[in-house]
Amino acid sequence: MTGFVLKRMGFAVITLFSVLTLVFFIVRVLPGDPAMVILGDQASQAAIESLRTRLGLDRPITLQYVDFMRGVFVGDWGVSMVSGRPVIQEIAKVLPATLELTFAALILGAAVGIPLGVWSAVSRNTPPDYVIRLASLLGLSFPAFVSAVLLLLAFSITLRWFPVMSSGHGETLVDRLRDLALPAINLGLIMAAYITRVSRSAMLEVLNQDYVRTAKAKGIAFGQILIRHCLRNTLIPVVTVVGLYLGILIGNSVLTEIVFNRPGLGRLIVGALNQRDYTMLQGMMVIYTLMVVGVNLLTDLTYGLIDPRIKYS
Amino acid sequence: MTKAVHPAASSDFRIMVGAAGAGLIKAFNTNKTSWIGLGLFLFVCLLAILAPWIAPHDPLDQNILFRLRPPSEAHWMGTDFFGRDILSRILYGARISLVIGLVAIAAAMVIGTAIGLIAGYYGGRIDIIVMQTMDVLLAFPSLILGLIVVAMLGPSITNLIIAIALTAIPPFARIARAPTIAVKEREFIEAGRALGYSDARLMLGHILPNILPEVLVMGSLWLATAIRVEASLAFIGLGVSPPTATWGGMIREGFENILDSFWLALFPSIAILIVVFALNLLGDGLRDAIDPRLRGEQ
Amino acid sequence: MTTLRTGILLSAVAALSLTAGVASAQKTTLNVGMGSADAGKLDPHIATTTPDKGLLHWMFNGLVRIQPGKASPEYIEPDIAKSWTSSDDGLTWVFTLREDVDCHGEYGNLDAEDVVFSLNRSSNTDTSAFAGDYSSFKSVEATGPYEVTITLANPVPSLLGLLVPYHGGNIVCRDAVEALGDGFERTPIGTGPFMFAEYQPQQYVKLVAHEDYFRGAPAIKEIFYRYIPSDASRDLAFQAGEIDMIYGRQDQTWVERIKDVPNTQVAVMRPGEMSVLSLNKTMPPLDDIRVRKAVAHAIDRSAMVAFKGPDVTLPAVSVVPEGYLGFTDEITTYDFDLEKSKALLAEAGFPDGVTLKAVHTTLPGMLSTIEAVQALLREANITLDIELVEHATFHANIRQDLSQVTHYSAARFPIADTYLTQFFHSDSIPLKPTAVTNFSHCDVADAEITNARTEPDAQRQLELWAEAQRKIADAVCAIPIFQNLQLWAWNSSLDLGHSVEGSLNLSPALTEASRFTE
Repeated sequence: MTGFVLKRMGFAVITLFSVLTLVFFIVRVLPGDPAMVILGDQASQAAIESLRTRLGLDRPITLQYVDFMRGVFVGDWGVSMVSGRPVIQEIAKVLPATLELTFAALILGAAVGIPLGVWSAVSRNTPPDYVIRLASLLGLSFPAFVSAVLLLLAFSITLRWFPVMSSGHGETLVDRLRDLALPAINLGLIMAAYITRVSRSAMLEVLNQDYVRTAKAKGIAFGQILIRHCLRNTLIPVVTVVGLYLGILIGNSVLTEIVFNRPGLGRLIVGALNQRDYTMLQGMMVIYTLMVVGVNLLTDLTYGLIDPRIKYS
Repeated sequence: MTKAVHPAASSDFRIMVGAAGAGLIKAFNTNKTSWIGLGLFLFVCLLAILAPWIAPHDPLDQNILFRLRPPSEAHWMGTDFFGRDILSRILYGARISLVIGLVAIAAAMVIGTAIGLIAGYYGGRIDIIVMQTMDVLLAFPSLILGLIVVAMLGPSITNLIIAIALTAIPPFARIARAPTIAVKEREFIEAGRALGYSDARLMLGHILPNILPEVLVMGSLWLATAIRVEASLAFIGLGVSPPTATWGGMIREGFENILDSFWLALFPSIAILIVVFALNLLGDGLRDAIDPRLRGEQ
Repeated sequence: MTTLRTGILLSAVAALSLTAGVASAQKTTLNVGMGSADAGKLDPHIATTTPDKGLLHWMFNGLVRIQPGKASPEYIEPDIAKSWTSSDDGLTWVFTLREDVDCHGEYGNLDAEDVVFSLNRSSNTDTSAFAGDYSSFKSVEATGPYEVTITLANPVPSLLGLLVPYHGGNIVCRDAVEALGDGFERTPIGTGPFMFAEYQPQQYVKLVAHEDYFRGAPAIKEIFYRYIPSDASRDLAFQAGEIDMIYGRQDQTWVERIKDVPNTQVAVMRPGEMSVLSLNKTMPPLDDIRVRKAVAHAIDRSAMVAFKGPDVTLPAVSVVPEGYLGFTDEITTYDFDLEKSKALLAEAGFPDGVTLKAVHTTLPGMLSTIEAVQALLREANITLDIELVEHATFHANIRQDLSQVTHYSAARFPIADTYLTQFFHSDSIPLKPTAVTNFSHCDVADAEITNARTEPDAQRQLELWAEAQRKIADAVCAIPIFQNLQLWAWNSSLDLGHSVEGSLNLSPALTEASRFTE
């Protein structure tokens, strides 16, 4: 067990290093010169030079790289070029709101998606299956901002059940939940569409396995087979896929945060891009990397836990 | 490679592509919904191509005395904030969405497949390094990567294509690599090698056709994603600059008027939904048919 | 799944009943919705954008002020200074200050030293964006603990105008500026009815009542100035009652819709912010006056007014807005004439038209204006390439001289000099040490602008200003499009405590007397 965990963690560290290296180079190589991007293509040479010095871009690239890496690990991510406050502090301020939204969406997505997927698989090629498949495909096709606008119109304006602005830091639990509801439903339903499809095909595969057939032949009640044998094995691909879908979740959370005026990483990164806040942007990419690599690691470990066939070796 | 080999190689290739094509058609027939998806998608493409002839108005022509009008006989989908005809803008906007999506995905498909083929075919250290890089890229949320690239390069059609292509390369590399590894061990490849065929010829002539169906299916699914990402970027404000009509840009503008003129956002939303849904229908049906795990039981 | 959803619904219902219970008490928290993505610079001597000025409006005092609800200099009344005298030659002004003015927080009583510090800070190019306004100040001295003497190098016709809490006239507290250093920009400290409490990036700035305010403790205890860039989201939030006061979309359709929302008070306020297209006459092809004239002839100004709506705009004639002291309409105007425009382009060697580049803000009100202009120019074969950037970046970029065509929308203190000096004097050209906002690099009327500033004869001064406007119009440095009036709305339960006709600072005045009636 320990060996398995250590090995996985080793992989994660390697990936982390490579992605961070990539981030470092993307930010520097892509536009040619960040100072130029910040100041625009017609800026005077003197202005560019002085900004380069301020950003430390005139130093040897290896030195910058070492500084960047050290900074990432000791928590020194520089200061925002716009607000002048430490990047890590600004990120830490909004991170909880985004995490809250993401987790809520995941739970909602799984709670809706897994049962629907299983139902669809069990009743394959019957009307419920068709309806569920069509609905999940529609769910994948809805751009997150379109569904968000629809939810806003229906539940905030017409029915007035939820606030238009999701502040993300209500004082009471109830306030927080009210704030969270619509964004989480928006994101959760999209997640549900993905999870439904994965659960369905995973379930189909399991239903086809010999042991299920044997169990059926033995006359064991179908419901019991489903719960005892199938669900567990269906969960494995679902968990993997949920890990892989984190990217989709993050992308859609950006759009959701914009429509619902909810503070979070999404609005922060859009702001940083608009204001060409280069240090903030770098910090945002680091935090996304940490999240993605962290979740991949977790996925791997959970995978090991759920599937008894995976020996921790 | 000598000239004499070429005709043979290309005829091999033709046969293999023919087989792949036949496979695809069979896949289509296995899952009829794919035909519906394909039909819908081609219809939208046709409308986009014909836009200059069928659009009732100039998409950039403002009529500021005739703003925010609901659908009418003269303007079937109404007019926008500047009195521009929404139907015409949707038709022209389709061209932008489709061109960006198709070019980006075609590029990603070619580059990604090539990377996957090479990594899978040679294996070893190349494979590890290449695929590690791909995994790293894949780990990044595509919208975020797109956002950053576009924001840095500036929002233009070319840059949007680059950004979207970049996010779509890794999945193609992955999907091309696995079957390559499987196929390269098969006898006909061994035989080809014994005959002294070059690596390139083996990869292009013999392995590619085998993995082509899966790559194409993946292509249709990613095209859907590409169109959605482009619209999302435009909605965030990183789309092609005004006055060019884009669906995402139209929805963004429509959202600002949603309380009094909902049709501004409604029609382009429906347009995106139709195209993305059609592509998903197409790709999804084909995948079901092609997926070896599910093949036997349709 | 069903249980979870029901759970959320139940909690929502519970929450609704909870808030209903709380709402019966007297409301003292005001939520304001502003149409920008984030705060810019909150230092009153640096801030220039509408969103920043609107907020600072409620936090600062000047030596004198314009009566709340008014926008014209004829309503100037005492503020921190309770009285003042001026010498016969108009060069020496002595202000006697109130002794009960306290700075926000722990920064203590405001005395003559603070006022001297503040005015000197306003005249210093390193610490102020408005230093040019104070170039005639020879000295500012504390001649008593609560007495300030301003000595001028030459008479300034509207000196009091420079001392209202608008730009440089905002009085800051010396101890706070010195203690906070760079941080002052994010935690501004003044003496006004409301004081800074908290800033949440991209969300809000929270102000709280300044209980020791010299005119009395404000009835409103908290103000949340929320940044909601999307017009639709802001309207939605207002309609849902989540914000009480809203910065409107600069468009007549907005006024028509929002006034149908129950219990809503709409204000169309002066001054207008004048939309002006500055043509950078050092950048080809705009260095050719024929091209600039072609642009001017291609813009149909009556169509532009019709587009925004006649109720929310005022036409623009000269580069100085109508209504400002010194305005003249006896200038060359360029009528809408596409044929003439095309002929001028051909004459300049561009028979197939020209392409011009504009860096532009994403601020929706300004964006729709430039898009309409873009369509008009297109008719004359003038392609306007718009590079969209966020509002703060826009301000930074145009000050780096990055735009051929600069669309600027602004209101200034309503005398011709401020506008002419800042936008058309060669000292104000971007990238110069004395730079302000002369994006066109206009230098044709320097003599008139400079001389008018020190001209003791009022009639002669008006003539100089008129002459400057004529020269600028002849050189087509800039093309005025229209004036946007300020559009705000608030819930009728909010009583501002005065009638609102205008506001120099572009946001309705919130004073100690403003309160909720329910």
